[in-house]
Amino acid sequence: MDLVAADRLQFAFTIMFHYLFPIGTMGLAPFVAWYHFKAWRDDDAEAGRIAAFWTKIFAINFAAGVVTGIPMEFAFGTNWAAFSAKNGAVVGQPLALEGIYAFFLESIFLGVLLYGRTRVARGLHVVSAVLVCLGSWLSGYFIVVTDAWMQHPVGGSLGALLTNPFALWQFVHVIVGALLAGGFIVAGVGAFYLLARRDDGIGRRFVRAGVLTGLLFSLLAIFPTGDRNSADVTKYQPVKLAAMEGLFDSTRGAPLAIIGMPDVPSRKLIDPVVAPSVLSFLAYGSFTANVDGLNAYATTLWPPVELTYYAYHVMVGLGTIFAALSAMSVLLLLWRRRLFEARWLLWLLLLTIPFPYIANEAGWVVTEVGRQPWIVYGLMRTSAGVSPNVPAGETIFTIIGFAGMYFLIGVLFLFLTLREVGVGPNHAQRPAVEASE
Amino acid sequence: MNSIGFALLAAMVTIYVLLDGYDLGTATISPFLARTSQERGEAMRSIGPFWNGNEVWLIATGGVLFALFPQAYASAFSAFYLPFTIVLWMLMFRGLAMELRNHFTMPMWRDFWDFAFSASSALLVLLFGVALGNLVRGVPLNASGYLLGTLGFLLNPYALCIGVLALVALALHGALWLAMMTSGAPARRARGAVPALTVAVAALYLAASAATWSVHAVDPQRRWIVALPLICLGALAGVVLATRRGATRWAFVFSSAFLAGLLAGAATALYPFLIPSLPRGGGISIQTMAGGSVAVITFVAIAGLVAVIAYTIFVVRAMSQHAGDA
Repeated sequence: MDLVAADRLQFAFTIMFHYLFPIGTMGLAPFVAWYHFKAWRDDDAEAGRIAAFWTKIFAINFAAGVVTGIPMEFAFGTNWAAFSAKNGAVVGQPLALEGIYAFFLESIFLGVLLYGRTRVARGLHVVSAVLVCLGSWLSGYFIVVTDAWMQHPVGGSLGALLTNPFALWQFVHVIVGALLAGGFIVAGVGAFYLLARRDDGIGRRFVRAGVLTGLLFSLLAIFPTGDRNSADVTKYQPVKLAAMEGLFDSTRGAPLAIIGMPDVPSRKLIDPVVAPSVLSFLAYGSFTANVDGLNAYATTLWPPVELTYYAYHVMVGLGTIFAALSAMSVLLLLWRRRLFEARWLLWLLLLTIPFPYIANEAGWVVTEVGRQPWIVYGLMRTSAGVSPNVPAGETIFTIIGFAGMYFLIGVLFLFLTLREVGVGPNHAQRPAVEASE
Repeated sequence: MNSIGFALLAAMVTIYVLLDGYDLGTATISPFLARTSQERGEAMRSIGPFWNGNEVWLIATGGVLFALFPQAYASAFSAFYLPFTIVLWMLMFRGLAMELRNHFTMPMWRDFWDFAFSASSALLVLLFGVALGNLVRGVPLNASGYLLGTLGFLLNPYALCIGVLALVALALHGALWLAMMTSGAPARRARGAVPALTVAVAALYLAASAATWSVHAVDPQRRWIVALPLICLGALAGVVLATRRGATRWAFVFSSAFLAGLLAGAATALYPFLIPSLPRGGGISIQTMAGGSVAVITFVAIAGLVAVIAYTIFVVRAMSQHAGDA
């Protein structure tokens, strides 16, 4: 493996593993804050137990996120020294602000949330939950801003960075994706309690809250956030759009590929099932507009076509399924609460939990693999960004080390999370970590 | 502007050492001061709500270094790729151990994670000290500004001496934190250990200072730097006196002053370089500061940090009001 491939593999692996946990924290934080608030406002003891339950799950996600996030802060220096030396003045800014404005907020007030239930005023405890949520979302914003500059390098001033037109819809889409995952996690856990015929009240509460959240955010993921995101790609990165759609020839009235396999050597989409002219409409608002295909560009400017294409179709396909599944669930919920008796649908909800994670990760693969061969779009090639003084062998060694470490973290994360779910909100002896001594 | 950037980084590193220093130190020293599982639990609870926030100072310092001095950030971390990656793994493992002890209530596992937490913390402190020692001593740079570092080069006697100093100084800092924040047997033992630890720190400090002056001579224009050892030794005397009078809070303040003095000495020795070369005379200096909107980001960072300090103090006060009830 050459140095560039090894560095890319390490970054892809560590960032994708890390990102599993921010999906959980950004997606569950509003639930945590909401149930703490509800317990306080309505003096609702059950909501209090639910709040403590999700706080624990959140804390496990947060800890895994922090632990796997530490190497990310330094990966630009260790593996991408040439990129960092040249562009640190720009991309370093949002990363510095993420530490200062988001991480402190999140970690300090999570300390209050976990250890402060009996130590601080109740109101401050609830406010802490809101601040933790704010911190996790702000962190997401700074990361999206950093990425957006690599996608669409606007001026390097702080103002230009924070208002990059590429960042806005991408950020909203990222948050919507996390909330969609949060909704399906809550619904899936509730479905588990109902299927296991235990904690009926809690199970119903979770399923109801989860499917309503899931429906709302799976619709928002498609429109307007997904649609606007694609519009930005169309405008700023047309060659990425062509790869996402597997469109080789520039076409007036370009079709939208629903199924099909891009065959790069012969430059065509094999066995396609298409919706005629729809791509032109989605991209430019007209069924007859011309969409540039990959052939309009030199192959040295192409991203890896297959990976971009499949990741995009996985994301969009799953997004459609989420909308259908949550819509069906909400209909059965409204139809005299039949959802709670429909065991087949509860099974589906339970088994759906991993798929929003896959959709979120696939979305990032489209964004980042589709950005290739550039590390800074149009300005610096990825191959020019690596650390010239780190041999490929050392990077391969650390990839293997990270793999071992992350296997351990993954196993422990699943074990701890599933154990909390197994205990459930009603049977936890005491509220949070502070009392577990 | 370049000097403000340097001062900001020095201040952030100092705050990091003062804050994460007490939880790293508590972890290092607690196997000796907290003997039963329950006592260790008390020690861990005293840092539980804070250690993560403290570690954010390290992450934030990394971010600010990246934004202000990208060349230093890029050179340093790529040059010592393997040692640095191992430090990262250690940081990760330490975080894991701290979190997991709360989830594995079986005494056997709790003891294991406490041990893992203490061992990885002590090793980290040692490595941080070695890194600082090497920074003060200088590192080999090639013409393009990239470093040529090896593990064997890093583990030189001078750097190891600074590493041991860091280990003992933070063990003292942690003991004082325990004396201040806990009650009962660990606090009593911590107070008892203070004089011996302080003497050890003072001896190592004098040895390290002498060694520092031998690796590079005092700049005649900065003669005032010889006042720093007096301030540091004075602070150490203050630690012992305050502990004897039962004023553990003041003892902790004096220990913080000692650490700040130590780092101020290191910063003065470095300035105007971030990474001085070996043989000395060149290196990556503050002149490599990023251009563009660097002034804006510096002041936005400072404003944010002031807010962070304000709400950290607020939270620590709110949390320690009822610490006894928990």
